[in-house]
Amino acid sequence: MEWNEFFIAALETVGMTIIATALAYLVGLPLGVLLYATGKKGLKPKPILNFAIGTIVNILRSIPCLILIIVLIPLTRGVFGRATGAWFTMIIPLFFASFAYVGRVVETSLNEVDQGVVEAAKSMGASSMQIIVKVLLREARPSLILGLALSTISILGYTAFAYDFGAGGLIARAYSIYHNYPMNYLSRPEIWVILILIVVVVQIIQEVGLILSKKTDKRRIAK
Amino acid sequence: MFSLLERRAMPEIEIRNLSKSFNGKKVLDDVSLSVEKGDVFGVLGLSGAGKSTLVRCINGLEIPDGGEILYRGETLCSATQRIAKEKRGKIAMIFQQFNLLEQRSVLGNVELALEIAKVKGKENRRQKALECLARVGLEEKAKEYPANLSGGQKQRVAIARALALEPEVILSDEATSALDPETTQSILALLKDLNKELGITIIMISHQLGVIETICNKVAILDNAHLVEQGDLSDVFLNPKTDIARSLIYADHVHTALNEHHYIRLLFNGNSDEPLIANIVQQCSILISIVYADTKVIDGKVYGQTVIKRPKEEKDREKLRKYLELHHVEFEEVKSLGME
Repeated sequence: MEWNEFFIAALETVGMTIIATALAYLVGLPLGVLLYATGKKGLKPKPILNFAIGTIVNILRSIPCLILIIVLIPLTRGVFGRATGAWFTMIIPLFFASFAYVGRVVETSLNEVDQGVVEAAKSMGASSMQIIVKVLLREARPSLILGLALSTISILGYTAFAYDFGAGGLIARAYSIYHNYPMNYLSRPEIWVILILIVVVVQIIQEVGLILSKKTDKRRIAK
Repeated sequence: MFSLLERRAMPEIEIRNLSKSFNGKKVLDDVSLSVEKGDVFGVLGLSGAGKSTLVRCINGLEIPDGGEILYRGETLCSATQRIAKEKRGKIAMIFQQFNLLEQRSVLGNVELALEIAKVKGKENRRQKALECLARVGLEEKAKEYPANLSGGQKQRVAIARALALEPEVILSDEATSALDPETTQSILALLKDLNKELGITIIMISHQLGVIETICNKVAILDNAHLVEQGDLSDVFLNPKTDIARSLIYADHVHTALNEHHYIRLLFNGNSDEPLIANIVQQCSILISIVYADTKVIDGKVYGQTVIKRPKEEKDREKLRKYLELHHVEFEEVKSLGME
């Protein structure tokens, strides 16, 4: 295996992960806000709506990713003209597999915000939109950043399924090494390179998330 | 147009027959009270009496089930009418837990009030916020974050935030209850200043007698969803008429000492500078045993009470009674101060 194939595979993984994560947040962030806002302690409690959205979210989260990809083949084909064989075809199934999860992660972060500050904003006459933008998302920022790192890592894990559809990426590459050298794949250096690379990437995402979260968090006491 | 006289007569905040229930339990039952402009109006009661719900109704955090709240004669909110946005800025609120945004600087917290009210111009908001911080003596902390402030400083920031929209009324929901006694005094002094200098009406919710005593000129006592007494602080505190008011006002002082013997409580209203007890001893030749004494300065006058042991001899009691009546000293015989 050529080293530049690693490079391309790594780029494919990064591409799928970043674009799918971005799309998942595009939908998941408002979804999390909606889940929070309509929840019991939310800005506009709407138990029936909250239950309905919550149920859909839970169903989506409980479908195994692989099944979701298969079910979504017609959609992927409709969007890209093909459902297999290229890294970008993974974006749609990865998005569907993760936005509900992201919604829950965002909801959890918002739930951590002290009700008192929401109350204070309400007493100043803030609209729900002002409370969401100026108070909730702002106060929850360190926690949202940690959630983003968590979600990115979990979406990175989902990219493994790209193997089944010939969509490339690092993890799929590891599978294909096993496929090509079933008897002695563990003695192939590539598989270890991939393993180390993935571990390093996950560590980097985790650490960057942690550092950014700490850096933006103003709750620390300055020395 | 209103004449000056009519304008004066109109209460700043008037609450009419306010009721509110949570899960079938009445938290406020037919509460009516009226707060004049410039009042520092205390609402005293045990926790669970409905005090917080009362202020939360005034600024629209809760919607009452019945009754209405009027601001300068106009309906502010009622069961059917939500508080109008333009009136929101007139009534600001401060909280027990300060409720500052931890991710915003001190300045940012004050600016938030202006942003919410859609005050135009970033620099304009900044200037205004700095003025408010200067008013509470925290200008130099503008760039700090709440995590680096003491409790008292946080409450000052909250007060600056409340001032940002130039309110006519400040609602204080146990604003000093999380603070130590010294800091409590400095916050109360600040509120009193704002009341005197800016003419801001203050409604103080507290379960702390000392807080109400220090700052309020009027007081209402809430018990179990009902308003049991209201009036000038000196009237209510010197002559509590209901058992609950008595227990609230005297409770923490005299609870354990007085449940076996008979005592007499002497009430002072600041009109006399005579050394009353010494005079009784001298002129009536009765030995007086003081059990408890507490005098305070309220609105520049000395008020207080002294509880003495009832003389054993019937004729001594008669002498004492006559002396007190002659000198217009209010007194009452007390068995156990309604604390059985």
